[in-house]
Amino acid sequence: MMRIKTIPGKFYQYNTVIIFILMLIVSGAITENFFSVNNISNLIRQSAPIGLISMGMLLVILTGGIDLSVGSVVAMIGVAFSMLSYEVYFPVAFGLSLLTGLAIGAVSGYLVAYRKIASFIVTLAMMSMVRGAGYLLSKGAPISVGPHSSGILVLGSGSVWGIPVSAIILLIVFTVLYILLKYNIFGRVVLAIGSNEEAVRLSGIAVKRTKFVVYGVCTLLTALAALLMVGRTGVGTPNIGVGLELDAIAAVVIGGASLAGGKGSLLNTLLGVFILSMIGNVMNLLDITSYLQQIIKGVIIIAAVLFQRS
Amino acid sequence: MIELKNISKSYGGVRALSEVNLSIEYGKIHALLGENGAGKSTLMKVLSGAIKKDGGAIVIDGREKEMDSPKTAREEGIGIIYQEFSLVPELTASENIFFNQLGKSFWLDWKGLHKRAAALVESLGFKLDVKKKVCHLSVAEQQIVEIAKALTSDIKLIIFDEPSDVLGAHEVSILYKVLEELKRKNIAIIYISHHLQEILQISDSITILRDGKSVATVENKNLDNDKLIALMLGKELQHIYRERPGVPARGAVFEVSGIQLPMGDSAVGLTARSGEILGIAGLVGSGRTELLRAIFGADTAKRKKVSINEQQIKTNAPAISVAYGIGMVPEDRKKEGGILGQSIRDNISITNYGLITSGFGFIKKKIEDEHIAALVDRLKIKCASIDAPVSSLSGGNQQKVILAKWINSGAEILLIDEPTRGVDVGARSQIYDILFELANKGKTLIVVSSDLEELMSICDRILVMKKGGFRGEVTKDAFSEEKLLRLAIE
Repeated sequence: MMRIKTIPGKFYQYNTVIIFILMLIVSGAITENFFSVNNISNLIRQSAPIGLISMGMLLVILTGGIDLSVGSVVAMIGVAFSMLSYEVYFPVAFGLSLLTGLAIGAVSGYLVAYRKIASFIVTLAMMSMVRGAGYLLSKGAPISVGPHSSGILVLGSGSVWGIPVSAIILLIVFTVLYILLKYNIFGRVVLAIGSNEEAVRLSGIAVKRTKFVVYGVCTLLTALAALLMVGRTGVGTPNIGVGLELDAIAAVVIGGASLAGGKGSLLNTLLGVFILSMIGNVMNLLDITSYLQQIIKGVIIIAAVLFQRS
Repeated sequence: MIELKNISKSYGGVRALSEVNLSIEYGKIHALLGENGAGKSTLMKVLSGAIKKDGGAIVIDGREKEMDSPKTAREEGIGIIYQEFSLVPELTASENIFFNQLGKSFWLDWKGLHKRAAALVESLGFKLDVKKKVCHLSVAEQQIVEIAKALTSDIKLIIFDEPSDVLGAHEVSILYKVLEELKRKNIAIIYISHHLQEILQISDSITILRDGKSVATVENKNLDNDKLIALMLGKELQHIYRERPGVPARGAVFEVSGIQLPMGDSAVGLTARSGEILGIAGLVGSGRTELLRAIFGADTAKRKKVSINEQQIKTNAPAISVAYGIGMVPEDRKKEGGILGQSIRDNISITNYGLITSGFGFIKKKIEDEHIAALVDRLKIKCASIDAPVSSLSGGNQQKVILAKWINSGAEILLIDEPTRGVDVGARSQIYDILFELANKGKTLIVVSSDLEELMSICDRILVMKKGGFRGEVTKDAFSEEKLLRLAIE
């Protein structure tokens, strides 16, 4: 019986790849300009921030938790960076923004890991608070980046040898996380906690610390994503990123992860992000109204997850 | 009469059952015996409508019936008491007992409900506060609730899936009384158990399954352990319970004191030497498991003192205990012992990452491969590969993985709660061999078990617990089941 279970298990992992390739073929077939250099690099630039967030989200989900605050963090960090850019040098503003992101996750992580409040509740509350903080800081209005920090635009819109800078950042983060998950005990412990937290605790592992860390990493990556997004527009906007947490969760789920924890793949999560972006991109190219887009997107998410299971 | 005729079932290409025959008479206990993986559970799932058979027929009182869902099976009068109960923890015992009837009328007559539930429980020869939520009941009480629940509908046959495994000696005798009551009510009983002694004691007839086939059905006459084992394995086997070979090493002293258990009046403590296997007996609820957990630091305990060789150590959390060389094999293998979804490799390595990592926690895969393979080999863990998930293993092999992880941690002191619960005969003796080997190497083993025979055959000394305290100590030369039971009950 064991053998029968493991073989479909292997194919399982490739289902996301199959969906991804199907999406590529369909996208290329039904639109004229999909494979143009311009569109592809645009697609990657669009995907990079949500890619970073989804990878952070995956870590949290692997431990059996969830982080709903990421959309608010994107807005709040964007605003914070824009304001800081008038006060301090670019690298300092950049570093402080990342630290702020990390601090938000540390608060969530502390409450989830050490005070044992359900992650859904904690991050729902954080989602509200951080969103409020963003509005409060900016007084509700978008803030353009200060003149000393125009370097941020390179992050969002620049290229090196034709490769978007944001794609390079995405690739670096992906590589680091991939190595940590696959070759480091960090990955082992994260997956094990998601499978059976109590057994891991009774094995003498510092469960709380690891849980604390994943929330920190998640919002740190979200802060980095926020900076990439500011880099695309040059503006920190307090009302962006609404519903972003759902996109990130959708990407993780399309990537075959279990929301119960203990199972998921980093590569497939990233493919999930591209699948979602492609859906949006193609529908834009086809001039489908945004209301209809939302419905179609939902249908495709469910179809993808069903296909995952078959 | 309820008959299963030529039942077959395959999962993919694997034959789980092939042409199994079984017939059960009303008012009789029919035991079902077989190693793990012999097909007992699959057969019972077919009978209770949880899975569909590929071939064969289920005949009740001469008429063929299709069991296409648990609901139909229930309507045909077939009930099953699973090892993991199907009770709703947040509802009261009464509500659980009458769960299937609850929706029949809009208003609930609470008084009547509790009264009827209490009467039903009492008719089984048991007393229970039926207004309590099920999550506040002991395992034995939950089982009674489960049985009472089965009796609320017009029942013809009750299947018991290893019911005594979760019970202590005293509760087991209650269960036997309940079985007698059921027999008197002319209900047919299928009784699945690993305990041969128990089967010999209570069953009227016995069917033995091996590799998905019913190899023999015998009346319970002139049978003994050895004959049953021979039928199960298809060959003669030495005694399951073994004497420990070799001379135990004597050395470091492990001492615990000042532990106040929730069910006890005063603090308890114990002393064990290295090379010793110390047994802890007692009824379910006597505090055996709680004591082990408190020593290990799984639960917090105030004023606890733990020392190794007169050197006092702190064991406030599992992580600290593990660092001091203490390991615990928990009672509940699925919830607390194994990380079932992850691989054998992950499960074993987790207690000692230092051994397989370089700086910064990066894993040296080759070293890990060799190390894990050696342990799997040494403990005779049957698996497709070390990367197979632990959930794919049989109960006995899962237990060996958990022992392997503590051998891997290099623990000097092992707290083992129910070493062979839900483990088949073959693996059981292998587990005893592992425990003996560890003790002979000078480890200190503290073993809790509900199986007195098991304790008597592997331990050097047994402490008996009752109500959170020790009621006596029995040394090897004075072991007797009666003596231990008296200490536990009186």
